[in-house]
Parts: sequence; structure tokens; C-alpha cells
Amino acid sequence: MKKYWEIIKISFKGQIAWRFDVAMNILFTVTRILFAYILWGAIFGQRDTVAGFTFQTMLSYYIINSFLSQIEMSDGVSRELSRRIRGGTFSKYMVIPANVQGYFMAQSGGVTAFYLIFDLLATVIWILVFRIRFSFTTDVTMILAAAGMVLLGLVFMVQLNYFLGILAFKYQDINLFLMMKSNLVAFVTGTMIPLVLLPGTIVSAMRIFPFYYVAYLPSMLLIGKNGEEAIMGLLLLSAWILLFLAVNKIVYRCLRIRFDGVGI
Amino acid sequence: MNDKLIIETTDLTKTYRHYEKDTGLMGSVKSLFIRRYSSKTALSNFDFAVQKGEFIGLIGPNGAGKTTLVKMLTGIISPTSGTISVLGYYPNKLENAFKKQYAVVMGQKSQLFFELTASDTFMLFKELYGIPDETHKKNLDYFVDLFDVSQFLNVQVRTLSLGERMKMELIVALLHNPKVLFLDEPTIGLDAVAQKQVRHFLKEVNERSGTTIILTSHYMEDIKSLCKRCVVVNNGEKLYDGETDALFEKYQSHKKVTVTFAHETLLALPAECTLIEQSAYKASFLIPKGLTREILRELMKQNELDDITIEEEEIGRIVERIYHNTRTVVQ
Repeated sequence: MKKYWEIIKISFKGQIAWRFDVAMNILFTVTRILFAYILWGAIFGQRDTVAGFTFQTMLSYYIINSFLSQIEMSDGVSRELSRRIRGGTFSKYMVIPANVQGYFMAQSGGVTAFYLIFDLLATVIWILVFRIRFSFTTDVTMILAAAGMVLLGLVFMVQLNYFLGILAFKYQDINLFLMMKSNLVAFVTGTMIPLVLLPGTIVSAMRIFPFYYVAYLPSMLLIGKNGEEAIMGLLLLSAWILLFLAVNKIVYRCLRIRFDGVGI
Repeated sequence: MNDKLIIETTDLTKTYRHYEKDTGLMGSVKSLFIRRYSSKTALSNFDFAVQKGEFIGLIGPNGAGKTTLVKMLTGIISPTSGTISVLGYYPNKLENAFKKQYAVVMGQKSQLFFELTASDTFMLFKELYGIPDETHKKNLDYFVDLFDVSQFLNVQVRTLSLGERMKMELIVALLHNPKVLFLDEPTIGLDAVAQKQVRHFLKEVNERSGTTIILTSHYMEDIKSLCKRCVVVNNGEKLYDGETDALFEKYQSHKKVTVTFAHETLLALPAECTLIEQSAYKASFLIPKGLTREILRELMKQNELDDITIEEEEIGRIVERIYHNTRTVVQ
């Protein structure tokens, strides 16, 4: 395990190599809060609640959800895999004694750790600066369930992006897959709008898929809602992770023999 | 397999499949509906055996099949047919136990993290290969000293020169004491001083640690000064496998001479020479090895020469000569 810990560390070090990037990243977290404030302020108008949410809980939901979406940076996994497979430099990962999926998992862990630390810090500061009355649950079980779900969600998203990335062995260009995934994920994780605003049948269908539990449900848990779905969410996400672990292993084994390392 | 034999291939063949399309917009549209594929055999029925501790040069023009061979020996690509064994493993199974016993440095594939320091990469590789603290420190100190790069350890890799970066790549590759080191064009693009340092480094590693080294290079000097044995490859076939000195003795029949003139001159060359290029103030030509002194003396008498450069013949020409003149595999 020490080697994967070192990969996490080197990935984290790569994130903080550029001071201007770090400063800008912290600064721009404010835009999310301002955007949420203006958007939901306009939607609520004189109303006290929308779909069972008060203005404060909606604002809290939006800030938490966009924060969780921000720390989920596994898009880079599929992009890097695709670029390296097409360019022939994927061999860099084939010749080192580490599991490729594990390597990318650890690499994403380093990136996520960076966003988790710096964005969380920035978000807390902005909340205090803007004096937002944050609706955050005090129920420890809900917080722990949400934290576990966030962790499993991050693992699943790396696996999904890894799966899409290794499809480049067969299809070379995977941009179409990535575009479809981005649109789907933005919608079904509730980043665009809270899923509760959608028809019940659609939300029920989404509960079978893991995306519902990646950002939406943890956000709801953290504002003290949907506690009854927590256990099912954790079990379902774990099942999806196990499924993708096996699928990725098989797909990698079958497809990597197509790699011809062109250009090196 | 005897104890000393660490690499063995029999009838090793690799065929790549590409798709082809006609030029122009119509060609692109047509290929959208009807895709035409063609095959190229990069390596054909290649037999190759390497003994422990050898330093072998792979020579051949671009596209000859050298890199394909290295990629198969390191497990990066799978063979189309034939057998292959490296350190007793089938490379393309990519077992960690196998990967821990070799290292590969390819000119265009870096293991370094450009935005971080070389030391950061060394730490990562220490953990990846499970190198004990003591061995890591001993090896790192030794290689850093040998290359004299201590002042570059803690600066961003992206700010290093090509030569300094290549030295760091070699250190990364050797930290875990690999039994076999594969090098694909390690001196490409380096200046003369850096090339010499890299050669000295590799010689030391081979002699001191007994590391088996397989080297591909376009530079004659790399092959001549480092490799006792060399293998000439062209069009995926082995043209020569034997002593480097014997190869150059037999096939490097000419020296490449470049002369510059003080005034505008039209050089008249004797029949034994082959003109490569000529302009008003400069001419390059090949002189048969035994006649170099005599012909140059005569040219100096007849022309006012400004400068003379004598170089070894390019590898490509030697390969061409072997290919066209003999077509005989010397074992």
C-alpha cells in the first residue's frame, strides 16, 4: 500500500506546484456561492419554500452539492488514459510494478485531497464572510453516512472514468463517450437542479444507478434530509464499485493487447 | 535455457494493422463507409538470444523494427507469433515480479514529473519498486555522483536541459538495480559532452553491476564505444548478429569528409570518392578508408581548403550496404 500512498502524495504535490493556480482556485469558490445566492434568491422571490426547501436549505444544498462536484476530479483519468493510449505513451504505466487502475485511483486521490482541503477551507471562509445561515445537520450518523457515501462515490467515479479511458484501446477516440457521461452525470447527480424537483418516477429510476448517491444524496444527508435512504445508498454504491472492479479488470485484460505503442 | 541466457526469442513476428484512406475530402467521406486495412510486418521471424551481462547494440534505420523488438521484450506490446522469454517470463503477461527486474528508458517517454523535482520521482520509484532505504540511498548517491547532478535534484524537471533530464531518467531507471536495461535512443538530441557522459555512465553500470544492456542508437559512436556485440535490423529482419568490431571492419568501408573552402571552388574528386553534396564553399563526400590520407593530401594541394571534418560513416549507409550487397545473415 505504501506505493499507492506515495502516488497520492506526488499527485498532491503536483497540484500545489503552481501558487497562482492555488490562489485562483480558492478565490473562485466564491463565484459558486454568489451564483447560488442570486439564482435561488430570484427563484424564491417572496415565497418561503420551494418543493419543501426553505431559501437557506436550498442555498446550503447548492453549496454542498457544488462543493462535492468540485472535489470529484476523476474526469482527468479518462482524458489522460485516452491521450496516452492514442499517443503511445501509455507504456509509462505498463512498465512500472503497480496496478494501473490502482495507480489512477491513487492519482485521483491526490487531486481530490487538494480540492478537498483548499476548497473546503475557502468555502467555509466565504460562508462566514457572507454570513450565510448554513443548514447543516448535527446528526453524527447522517454526517458519517454522507462521508462514507462521498468516499464511495469518488471511488466509483474514478472507476467509471477508468472504464471509459481504457475504451480508447479499442475506439481510440472516446470524446463522444466522455461528452455523454458529462451530460448524464451533471443531470443525474443533481448538480443542475435538486432531483426532488423532477417527477417521482424519474427519481425512482435514478436510485438504481450510482450517480444519485455520488453528490445528490450526500448533499441531502448533510442538510438533514433523506436519512432513510442512507443504508440503501451505501450498499448500492458498494455493489456498483465491486461490479466495475471486475468489469474494468476484464476489459483491461482484453483490450490492452490491442495497444501498439505507436509514436514511441 | 542455460543459466546465463536471459533473453531468448524464436521466430518472433509482429504485424501491425493500419487503416488506409484516399487523400482529400472524398477520401475521408469514403473511408467513413468503407474502411480499408493494410498490414505491416515490423518484425519477422526474429531469433535473438542474450547472455547475462552483455551490452548489445541494435542498429538499423528508422522503421527497421528495433523499437518494436524492445517493446515486445519489455511486454509493452504482444507478439503476433513466435516465442519470447525474458528472465524466464513471458513479458506481455506484465507480472510485477518481472517488471521489478528490468528497466526501460525510451527517448520520448519520460517517467519524470515535469512540474516537480527529480527527487520527488526518485521517492516515488523507491516505493513503487520497494527499494530498501539503504540500497536507495547508496544507489542514489552513487549515480548522482557519477553524473555530477547533485545541484539539479531539487529544481523543477521542466527547467532542466535535455541532457540533464536524460541523466535523471537513467538514474530513475537504475535505482532498483535492474538485471536488464533497455535503452531506446538515450543520446538522441544530446550535445557531444552529454553524449560522452551518458556513454561513460552506461559503461560503468554494465561493468560494475553486470547489468545486461540492450541499446538502440543511431549514433555510431554509441555502438562502437559501448557494444561488443551488435545486431543489425532492417525491414524487420536480422541482417547481422555478431561482433561490433567485425561489422565495422567489414562494412564501414568509407569515411565521410566535409571540406569548406576559403574561396568559391568547384571541387574535382577522384573516381574513388562519392560526392554527397556540394556548394560553392562546401563539399561532402565519401572516401574509401585506406585512401583517406592520400586523397586528402592531393585535394589540399589542388584547393585552398578552409576546414576539414572527418566523420565515421552513418549507420544508415552501413545497413544499406549490408542489405544490398550481401543479404547474408552472419551468425
